[in-house]
Amino acid sequence: MLTGADSAESAEKVMDETLSKAGLLLGSIEYIVSTGYGRLLVPFANRNITEISCHAKGINSLFSLARTILDMGGQDCKAIRCDEGGKVTNFAMNDKCAAGAGRSMEVMARLLEVPLEDMGERSLQTVERPSTISTTCVVFAKSEVISLLHSGVHKNDIIAGLCDALSHRVLALLKRVGVEKEFAIAGGIAKNIGVVQRLEEKLGLRAHIAFEPQIVGALGAALFAKELLEKSIKCGVDN
Amino acid sequence: MKQMKDKRYAPELSPQDVQSIRETVGSASLKLMSESIDKMKAMPNRAQGMAYFDEAANLFSKRQDEIQAHKDAGGRVIGTFCTFVPVELIYAAGAIPVRLDSGIYHTVDIGEEILPNEVCPVVKSSLGTKIVQSSPYFELCDATISPSTCDAKTKLGEILEDYLPVWMIDLPRGRDTAQSKGFWVAEVFELKKRIEKFCGQKISRKSLKSAIELVSQAQKAFCRLHDARKASMPVIMGRDAMLAIQALFNDDIERWTRKTEELCNELDEHIAMKRKGYDAEMPRMMLAGSPIIWPNWKVPNIVEEAGAIIVCDELCSGVRGLYDPVRVDEWTMDDMLTAVAERYLLPSTCPCFTPNDNRANRLLQMVEDFKVQGVIYHILRGCHTYSIEFMRIKRVLERSNIPIHRIETDYSQEDTGQIKTRIQAFLEMVKESII
Repeated sequence: MLTGADSAESAEKVMDETLSKAGLLLGSIEYIVSTGYGRLLVPFANRNITEISCHAKGINSLFSLARTILDMGGQDCKAIRCDEGGKVTNFAMNDKCAAGAGRSMEVMARLLEVPLEDMGERSLQTVERPSTISTTCVVFAKSEVISLLHSGVHKNDIIAGLCDALSHRVLALLKRVGVEKEFAIAGGIAKNIGVVQRLEEKLGLRAHIAFEPQIVGALGAALFAKELLEKSIKCGVDN
Repeated sequence: MKQMKDKRYAPELSPQDVQSIRETVGSASLKLMSESIDKMKAMPNRAQGMAYFDEAANLFSKRQDEIQAHKDAGGRVIGTFCTFVPVELIYAAGAIPVRLDSGIYHTVDIGEEILPNEVCPVVKSSLGTKIVQSSPYFELCDATISPSTCDAKTKLGEILEDYLPVWMIDLPRGRDTAQSKGFWVAEVFELKKRIEKFCGQKISRKSLKSAIELVSQAQKAFCRLHDARKASMPVIMGRDAMLAIQALFNDDIERWTRKTEELCNELDEHIAMKRKGYDAEMPRMMLAGSPIIWPNWKVPNIVEEAGAIIVCDELCSGVRGLYDPVRVDEWTMDDMLTAVAERYLLPSTCPCFTPNDNRANRLLQMVEDFKVQGVIYHILRGCHTYSIEFMRIKRVLERSNIPIHRIETDYSQEDTGQIKTRIQAFLEMVKESII
């Protein structure tokens, strides 16, 4: 579910839906950790932890060897380094521009009238050769794509160029924290095979990809909640 | 007043336009200041001595009436930028210095009408403030002294000549050679003559000596405040200390010194009585990088609201301006002037100098003295010299296992959510355990 304009309201909705699917009541959940952009606005959370710590935690539980994590969602992109316990040791995040984030893929998919989930696959089926998309800014890249379309370039070649450009930018972010051999990708971008493959080629590594990459952060938050609950029981703190 | 056709940069604005923008900027700035003051007041166990600085830091406070009275009695007011203007000379000539670097958000757009997009917000805001006459202190200035530090500041001085007399003081790019020192000392000797002529008052040996003492008293008070932040049980939030320090931009220096001493007495009592101040578990942060000028409290507010405490900074808007004392050997005029000149040049770690080897060592020393657990490196967009040196500082700190996180931002609010996430994640990383 997309967050939308009202984080508190979407949090309530997700919770209601999840509870009814699981056949549980809110009162029976003993500890809740919120994460992500709206983490401060989740009314029923006991604690909030950033998605950076939660992603490291989540990936660590899935791939215990992973030490470098890429998380790319709609809003932003993060390169994270963690230790064997899943604790963050360093991270870098793109500055306030959407160019290095998943949103750019969404914008381009809409512009090209190609379903978002097909973008990765189509980028691998180039007709002539990948276009060069030289502009970083999403707004300007849109005009670059439009002029490519007008000059008759095949959509697949344009998509290949977009995936190239995105993986290039992500690589620069990863280099800021340093990449170790055991490398995992989380967030929506993990579903884009075009970006994933290009990144793997550039790094000369195979990435660990979570089965449900978009909920790795939530998994981490749940694991934190479990540990926090255990600690509070041990310390006799009433929650 | 020069005719508009003589203006080289100034935009053509009617007095009505200026007035209406000034009113909008004024009320927005007042709101911005009071929001931050309210946040700071909401912290528990805040020192009572801070009440004075809450008022003194108000950029529209009664202090302007005092300065006006000084002017009415024939006194001069001289504006300064950066931390290189020897204010001792201004005091010695019976004039009042005010620092004009601006942290006001709402004049950035106005400065942008003249300046290219890539220029930092401090320069845009400072210029915008002059264009719409929104800072009472700037308006009270009879002249301003503009050191040639970074490129943007250097050209700012030139642009401001459309509005008031500006005296450039030329800083050497190098700092450590005998030629550079000689060049700078000569600049300060020249500046003395200009100030004397402008103020119509000779700077005597006696008046310079007492001006040096006046400033050194303020520096001593500042150093006490600085030291109080070393306490392992914190007694003052970083934002409070920063506000108190920056109140001196406009305040009467003797009163500021007295009020800072009073504040320090209160803090020392808290330390001595081991009175519970703030949570000793708060991660201890240092702010490094581009200046953070009141009321641009965006980053400090985020850091301390996320549960950390800023225990020190290396900012030219903070610690760097007041830390290093003037060292006089002989109280002759030449020796005093040389000593004043040297105090501004030699210890400076401003990245507009090259080489700038001392900066990293100073940071490491501060990390040790203040038991800093993490460094937040603040870069204002367009502030190239700080941005460039980040890589070097990062290497040095990481070699000593000090976590550092880079935040690049400006005076707009659109990235507040993202910065909150980054700072909170950095604090989660710095803490031994999140659980």
